[in-house]
Amino acid sequence: MSEEKLLEIRNLQVQFNTDRGAVTAVKGVDLDVYRGKTLGIVGESGSGKSVTALSIMRLIPDPPGKIIEGHIKFKGENLLDISLSDMRKIRGNKIAMIFQEPMTSLNPVFTVGNQIMEVLDLHQSHLSKKQKIAKCIESLDLVGIPAPEKRIKEYPHQLSGGMRQRVMIAMALACEPDILIADEPTTALDVTIQAQILELMNSLKEKMGMGIIFITHDLGVVAEMCDEVAVMYCGKIIEESDVFTIFKHPMHPYTKGLMESIPSFDSTGIEAKSRLKTIEGMVPSLFDLPKGCNFQDRCSEVTDECRGIKGPPVLEDLVAGHKAACFNPLK
Amino acid sequence: MAAVEQQSKSLWQHAMGTLFRDKMAVVSIIIILFYVIMAALSATGIIVADWTEEVGPSYGSPSMDNWFGLDMFGRSVLAKTIKGTEVAMSVGLIASLLSLVIGVTLGAIAGYFGGRVDEFIVWFYTTFTSIPNIMLLVAITFISGKGLKAVILALGLTGWVGLCRLIRGEVMRHKDREYVHAASAIGAGNYRKLVRHILPNVTHIMIINFSLQFQIAIKSEVILSYLGLGVQGRPSWGIMIDDAKLELARGVWWQLAAATFAMAIVVLAFNILGDSLRDALDPKLKGK
Amino acid sequence: MNLYVYTLRRLLYIIPVLLGVCAIVFFLFSVVSPDPTLIMLGKHASVQQMEELRRELGLDRPWFIQYLDIVKSAFTFDFGRSWSTKQEISTMIKQGAIPSLTLSLPAFVISFVISITVSLMVAFYRGKFLDKIAVFGCVSMMSISSLAYILFGQWFFGYKLGWFEISGYDYGFPDFIPYVLLPILIWVILGLGPEVRFYRTVLLDEIYQDYVRTARAKGLGEHVILFKHVLKNALIPIITNLIISIPFLILGALLLESFFSIPGLGAMTLNAVNASDFPVIKAMTILTSVAYIIFSVITDICYTLVDPRVRLR
Repeated sequence: MSEEKLLEIRNLQVQFNTDRGAVTAVKGVDLDVYRGKTLGIVGESGSGKSVTALSIMRLIPDPPGKIIEGHIKFKGENLLDISLSDMRKIRGNKIAMIFQEPMTSLNPVFTVGNQIMEVLDLHQSHLSKKQKIAKCIESLDLVGIPAPEKRIKEYPHQLSGGMRQRVMIAMALACEPDILIADEPTTALDVTIQAQILELMNSLKEKMGMGIIFITHDLGVVAEMCDEVAVMYCGKIIEESDVFTIFKHPMHPYTKGLMESIPSFDSTGIEAKSRLKTIEGMVPSLFDLPKGCNFQDRCSEVTDECRGIKGPPVLEDLVAGHKAACFNPLK
Repeated sequence: MAAVEQQSKSLWQHAMGTLFRDKMAVVSIIIILFYVIMAALSATGIIVADWTEEVGPSYGSPSMDNWFGLDMFGRSVLAKTIKGTEVAMSVGLIASLLSLVIGVTLGAIAGYFGGRVDEFIVWFYTTFTSIPNIMLLVAITFISGKGLKAVILALGLTGWVGLCRLIRGEVMRHKDREYVHAASAIGAGNYRKLVRHILPNVTHIMIINFSLQFQIAIKSEVILSYLGLGVQGRPSWGIMIDDAKLELARGVWWQLAAATFAMAIVVLAFNILGDSLRDALDPKLKGK
Repeated sequence: MNLYVYTLRRLLYIIPVLLGVCAIVFFLFSVVSPDPTLIMLGKHASVQQMEELRRELGLDRPWFIQYLDIVKSAFTFDFGRSWSTKQEISTMIKQGAIPSLTLSLPAFVISFVISITVSLMVAFYRGKFLDKIAVFGCVSMMSISSLAYILFGQWFFGYKLGWFEISGYDYGFPDFIPYVLLPILIWVILGLGPEVRFYRTVLLDEIYQDYVRTARAKGLGEHVILFKHVLKNALIPIITNLIISIPFLILGALLLESFFSIPGLGAMTLNAVNASDFPVIKAMTILTSVAYIIFSVITDICYTLVDPRVRLR
């Protein structure tokens, strides 16, 4: 492939120590991020998608969490090997992250301008104060905040949720990072605002040519945003492919189930008449995973094979570029 | 309804499980039980039937016969310490029960009914907290005529404010929850909604606060007794510490040490238990 | 609601609270208390003697006049005369304030500086060995009776080692200093446990907030996060706690003053308790309550100044 590979994750394993013993929240995840592409990570809560994202930034709360295996190579350099101070030079500078809760992710007692300036002070200290202020205003303008020169003096509580998320994005993009990690950035927002933010992120990706890791539980959002999709379940990737293939032809019953649980719209925008389906059962507890395939108890295609004789299914190329971890992939 | 009950039961079981896995909490519970048993045995006269008995010379030092030494009148310090346990435990228990009842009643009424009633109760406890606790304690013990009953009354009447505030806030939060609306939909009255539906959901606050209040009462009893407002004519840890004021210069340290340690250990146990209870029962703090 | 309306409303709320405090004082000392004439004259007084004394003390007047007297004293600080020393109480308070403040003010400041430093350290190493030791240490220190600290400290540092004055006081600077050193030391030690525990909780509450994660994601170091982002947020509860403990400084430290024979307001109050001197106890109760009410208003107003979120609400 001709694209520049920015990030390569191989065999990432993250463990958490809890009162009830150690659990592995991420078990051997492999992912690649390319410049100018959006990689979507989809999964229910507890699937390990946020933990994967936080691992890239090395922001797993330790204790109780620990990355026990694997490597995360950013432009060829393993982020798990470098010192914490070198890692800090990458955070917010080369790799930036935005979070789910725009209401609480900004510090309430500092102005918006102050919080964006902080990133510039940290990573672009060669600029003069004036240049930094100009850049700060520019970045707010870029994310579509009206009257940015006024906004920089305001406190987060004076802004709406959508505006705050825009500020978060401005802050993340202030240093023109190579990779932007977005952890459910629109989950807490209204649908209309959500659409605006997604559109903004898409246009910024074009403009700045960065790679985006987009984490969500919403397949509808994935269709709109992503080039590549990885579906996670119980700490593992169970299906991975480009976005068209996966929507057209999901192989893993779990992915199919997820798709059938989103409402589809016809061209006139009226909801299609077909009934929505749900996936039966609940995500198993990480303390008490079944042998074999983790999805066996909820799966319609389950056979004896899935119940553990052969061990858990392995993620492999079933069709070129389309991977799934399933003994009975859908045709 | 049955499902809800089962759910809440399993929540309690879960909390108890967490609590009993916590070794410090288990040790604390054992210590507190030990004190309670000592206090009960002493109150019924099974041990330390007569603490005034002269068992040796004045200020006899600790020995194999008298582990904690003797006081000025040759009385056993161990016996006095155990008698003091009886005072401390009864003060702690009754005073914290009293403040529990007052705090929960006022807090629940204020939080549930809101409006004028709430404003009145808030005004009342704002007023109450404006008076320094020590002055109130002194005034109430003074007025109700010194002694064990006065101490219990004073501590009970002053210790309710914190709990009242917490309960008021929680009840306010709960009263608009769906399950309460559901209860009114099936015709439950105010009393039933409050007592049967809301209060069981704030029990954890009562338990945590009770263990906190217990040790505050024990500590305050010592100070009041020292000020001469506490128990009269029987030993208490406060009186023993007060006696020690003149003894230290003579090198007699055992009365101070006995009372201080007896108190510190049980108060420490309550403190640790209180923290563990909070960890186990308060889901908001989980994961920290 | 803007800041002015809020401040005004807060100030107006002083009135019902103050009237309430006076009502409680009145209830305790004039309604349910045992007849003070009995305490003053003893059991063998004649009815006539008691009547005379009641008139002299103004206890024969209607209850609402007596209540109004208390309310008036809360504004004028004219508390009448002490029953035991016959002095003007306001004069006694003025005299006692100086020794009390020379003890309590420096102790308050030193205690705060030490506690906040320790708690910042503990918060920085949260979850580590140092933190666990510190938390257990705080709880253990809080479990020991304050009387034991005072007694032991006085005996060990004052008597055994002979490093400090044990008793007495000298007016004027710097003569008072040797007398307050040991009480200040004991005060600081007494405060260490509860204060470090409180500040640690406040700091940790902030450390687990989402904005701290954002700050880390920006690439900020832990020191900047703790001292800039966390501390500025934690300042709100810290300042509240600090200002609200100022009124208690007037009382000095009841126990410390009485143990070290420092002629301050705390010792005066305890003497009044021992002598059943109602007017002095009443005066001190009202004085400290008024101070508490005023400072709690100041706290609330400071709160709106420090926290931008409250400003426009």
